[in-house]
Amino acid sequence: MLHLRNLRVTIDDYEIINIDDLALQPGTRLGLVGESGSGKTMTAKAIAGLLPNEAKVSGDVNFDGRNLLELSDRELAKVRGKRIGFVFQDPARSLNPMMRIGKQVSEAIRIHTDLKGRAVTDKVIDLLRQVQLPEPETLLRRYPHQLSGGQQQRVMIAAAIAADPDLLIADEPTTALDVTVQEEILRLLISLSEQRKMSLLFVSHDLGVVRFVCNQVAVIYGGNIVEAGDIDSIINRPQHRYTAALLAANPGMPKDDNFSAFIGRRLQTITGSVPAVGRFPSGCRFRNRCQHASEKCVTTPPITSDSPNHRHLCWHPTQGGRS
Amino acid sequence: MTSSSTPLVSVEQMSFHYPRAKITSGGSGWTLQDISLNIDLKATVGIVGESGSGKSTLIRVMCGLLHHQQGTVRFNGKDINEYQGDGANELRRQNQIVFQNPRRSLDPRMTIRRSLTEPIRALQDRTPDDQELVASIKRVGLGPEVLSRFPHQLSGGQLQRVGIARSLSVSPTVLYADEPVSALDVSVQAQVLNLLMDLRDQMGLTLVMVSHDLGVVSRMCEQIIVMRHGHIVEAGRTSDVLSKPSSDYTATLLKAARAASLERS
Repeated sequence: MLHLRNLRVTIDDYEIINIDDLALQPGTRLGLVGESGSGKTMTAKAIAGLLPNEAKVSGDVNFDGRNLLELSDRELAKVRGKRIGFVFQDPARSLNPMMRIGKQVSEAIRIHTDLKGRAVTDKVIDLLRQVQLPEPETLLRRYPHQLSGGQQQRVMIAAAIAADPDLLIADEPTTALDVTVQEEILRLLISLSEQRKMSLLFVSHDLGVVRFVCNQVAVIYGGNIVEAGDIDSIINRPQHRYTAALLAANPGMPKDDNFSAFIGRRLQTITGSVPAVGRFPSGCRFRNRCQHASEKCVTTPPITSDSPNHRHLCWHPTQGGRS
Repeated sequence: MTSSSTPLVSVEQMSFHYPRAKITSGGSGWTLQDISLNIDLKATVGIVGESGSGKSTLIRVMCGLLHHQQGTVRFNGKDINEYQGDGANELRRQNQIVFQNPRRSLDPRMTIRRSLTEPIRALQDRTPDDQELVASIKRVGLGPEVLSRFPHQLSGGQLQRVGIARSLSVSPTVLYADEPVSALDVSVQAQVLNLLMDLRDQMGLTLVMVSHDLGVVSRMCEQIIVMRHGHIVEAGRTSDVLSKPSSDYTATLLKAARAASLERS
């Protein structure tokens, strides 16, 4: 349903994103995993047509047979918010602090549906119930500051699904939340996507969270998708050296609750730090931090696929294990 | 967290509220209430809990940055309120803190050299020579060229190393770390956590770390304190508390952390 091809975004001649091929099938939940500056949020913004004015975009963002990059602002407005919903990281910054909850959710309904009057209020109450907020009739008269962070994020999700979108893009939706609240919100996103057959593009820096939510994952580094495929395949048999290193550097939790064996256990590290935007090396973006890099890595590796549901961009892939 | 000898830090029925908080007879308004705990010399203690539970406030009270209203906090057996004048400087020297966001905790107008010099001047009343500063920056895995740079010229991971070097420059007894890696990229977090473990071992530090990441705490901290709503819910050896939590809250926290984590054998 969503297919990115040769998507290229540049700002001031710096290449921010260069994605050959990334597809999202209907009903799947795809995690887009990357660190700061990797281009994950920019990719989400490119899909939504929300890039800053100075960004130059080319390629194909194909959504149901149409290239979103070629649509006029008016046509795009009909897709954005209606067919594609958005949830961002910090709900407190996305909600209008001066507006009651009910009004904010009803705005989305008024803009994207034909409902009027009492039907709008009924729909708001129904949506608040669907995101499992207690006492929706009272809640719609509240202001954002009267809600907890988790409740605010539920309101954002309610507004995002108001027009029954086919795709929900969630950009780090739980990063600002406590771990217990995070689990509730993640479960809510999973159940909404299943009930509504809604696809999810889940942008995150955290592979643990992505494993919980998604059935597919694309790992982005330096604006390139370095590895993509089924989540279990990638977590258990990473091919790209960056994915393997990222997995190894994740603190994780001890298997079988064996906490006493976990104590004092050092983490595997990745040398260096993520380069600033535009400072990534040519060829393989990860080569200046990779222990396995050779002169080959100066050129961009071809897309290699060992199985239909797992492909990577690495000259020296792991032999099916972690690095 | 108990031992027969005098604990290094000892907190007894301590309560704290921020200025102008509305205190009711029912006990609301307090940020920390009735906190009792002991920390032994060279222990590593993790403090976990949801945001607003009082974790950061607690370590700020223990290292003397905030002043409690009730109960006692002792350092080396002596009430921290009795450390006055030079004694107050000595208390600060021995209790150093590393903050979450290194970009906000270093003065953007100062070179790293100057940032590293300040605490030594303020707390030890002397000016370090170049050799000492180079040793201090090398200890955290950075090169001497960093000394002449400004914070904006360094990455987040490098800045957090500078923050650690700065705290360690006055040879503290206790290092408090408030979410030291949560502002850093995943690929850089592991470097900084390993560095903290190495420095703790090399320098014989007592390490008290606030973290929201139970995986990190169960790797690094022998002991754990679980907080909620300004109270200590549960405390003890990390492996005991996490394998058999006695409170429902710890169990909930653990379940949520496990759900969103990778399993490691």
